[in-house]
Amino acid sequence: MIHVSNVTKTYDDGTIKVNALRGIDLEIREGEFTAIVGPSGSGKTTLLNIIGGLDSATTGKIEIGSTDISTLSENELIDFRLNHIGFVFQSYNLIPVLTAKENVEFLMLLQKKSEEEREKRTTKLLQAVGLADQINKKPNEMSGGQQQRVAVARALASKPDFVLADEPTANLDSKSTANLLDIMLELNKQENITFVFSTHDQRVIDRAKRIITVEDGQVLSDVTKG
Amino acid sequence: MIVRIAFKNIWRNRLRSWTLIIAIALGIFGGLAVVSAATGLTNMRQRNAISTYVSHIQIHDSNYLKYAGLEDLIANENEVVSYLEKSEKVNGVSARLRLESFVQSAGGSSGIVLNGIHPESEKQVTNLYTKLQDSNYLERYKRKSPILISQRLADKLNARIKTTLQVSFTGADEIPITGVFKVVDIFQTSNSLYDDLNAFVRLEDLQALSGVMGSHEIAITLHDDDEVEGLKQELEIKFPTHHIASWRGIAPELGYADKMMGLVMTIFLIIIMLALAFGIVNTMLMAVLERKKELGMLISVGMNKQKVFWMIVWESIFLALIAGPIGIVAAYLGVNFFGTYGIDLSFAAKGLRSVGLESTLFPELDSNYYLIISILVVCTAILSCIYPAYKALKLNPAETIRTA
Repeated sequence: MIHVSNVTKTYDDGTIKVNALRGIDLEIREGEFTAIVGPSGSGKTTLLNIIGGLDSATTGKIEIGSTDISTLSENELIDFRLNHIGFVFQSYNLIPVLTAKENVEFLMLLQKKSEEEREKRTTKLLQAVGLADQINKKPNEMSGGQQQRVAVARALASKPDFVLADEPTANLDSKSTANLLDIMLELNKQENITFVFSTHDQRVIDRAKRIITVEDGQVLSDVTKG
Repeated sequence: MIVRIAFKNIWRNRLRSWTLIIAIALGIFGGLAVVSAATGLTNMRQRNAISTYVSHIQIHDSNYLKYAGLEDLIANENEVVSYLEKSEKVNGVSARLRLESFVQSAGGSSGIVLNGIHPESEKQVTNLYTKLQDSNYLERYKRKSPILISQRLADKLNARIKTTLQVSFTGADEIPITGVFKVVDIFQTSNSLYDDLNAFVRLEDLQALSGVMGSHEIAITLHDDDEVEGLKQELEIKFPTHHIASWRGIAPELGYADKMMGLVMTIFLIIIMLALAFGIVNTMLMAVLERKKELGMLISVGMNKQKVFWMIVWESIFLALIAGPIGIVAAYLGVNFFGTYGIDLSFAAKGLRSVGLESTLFPELDSNYYLIISILVVCTAILSCIYPAYKALKLNPAETIRTA
């Protein structure tokens, strides 16, 4: 469970203060497939970064499970991210010198998982995202859609509590987007993996089970589809 | 994994990596080449000086070095020579009578030191006999008093082989003495100053002419250079009234040159390492700034900053580890090749002779230098990537992953 309590974020460059988030309260439960939507500059990416521990809140509290991440040191936070949060980025951000298999395996190496376990999980995840035959390809040898599917597999490799995806379909064509969403919905359904997206892509919004609309740093609406 | 990624990372931009690798290798090669050339020059000068005129050790009467008087002869010379000849450390011993003289020919005159020598003994301590034009050494002449002069002195006196020279000096009781010698051969050493000032005659001829029965100088060469100081101390204890000097004391400029060369080499290596460091800093900084987004991603997904730091450090180490052996092997091959066949510097032979050097340079390099350079290159690589690695640690993942 992700618990966001009265979170504010103010950017202050000394001359101008920008209130990116103005008191957000949220609760995201296990197994949800949630989209945080809103126009550019609404604060959705800032919210996602704060939930993911990539940025800190000016005030308020983020609890993931029983851990208040705002109290963690920088190194503790990095370790926490490694073991509890999976990330999917807009522009894939794979390691270009590694193959698809090595990119997926990478987080498990950081977690010091055994070779057997790494091999098993990598194969399983790449099969799940439909790339079992592409394991030895490097990112520059794959399409954008394939790279993003590798990124999803990598995000799940460390067995995270939930996956945060920042505009994951922004650089994909319709077919790749549909394919990616199918895979994520399947993983959500079968393995009960929690997905939280920030997006303004209608194709994602249409398939999300819960839609949280953010505007001017505040939650405008929070709708769970029947 | 970190090490493997680091190794793969350096080949992302092959042109840039190879440019840096070649620059580092050339720097190492250039540094070692200059150091080996300088070592070769210093050692050549030292060897020439020792084998031509200084020897390893010289013995004089204590007053001789102050006054160079005719009467300042080595006391109990036979005992000293006999002691030295029995020593296993000693390669050769030669006693000399040295008189400050004035030499004249029909074509000119000059002030010189006339050295009376035992030709056979002298062969053991100097290589003068190898520097003769016609290989006519003093021992072959029975009837006339032979003299060996240098090419420079011959030019000055307008003399040649078979020219008769008149040599004058002040004998005992201030009586002027003049003798006549015939030039039997002409020598040329690698030290023009020495050539200007020295001529050689047989000891018995000079003793007969001057009436001085004895020697001013005993020159000694050893089998092993490392035993010089030990034998010197031994002789100082054995013959406390004599002045015993090693080549470092006789020609201190040779020792200074040795030390100076050490200092110059150190400075040179520091310059090379600084150039190497700036090259690595520049390249690694570019590599870090180009990969801000990726480094931000790595930190975001859970790679701690120590690992990011070490990944950058490993990249620098790999660059140095590839470049170092290339430079070192190139230097080793170059030093070995030119150390065997020499570098012809005959275009500057005259200038080189004036400072005691020959015109063929044989570079030399102590094997320790290869090890020292290897260690220095790796240390420099590690030190110089600290700043770029520090810049990587300061990246804010939230900002960098969204950069285009």
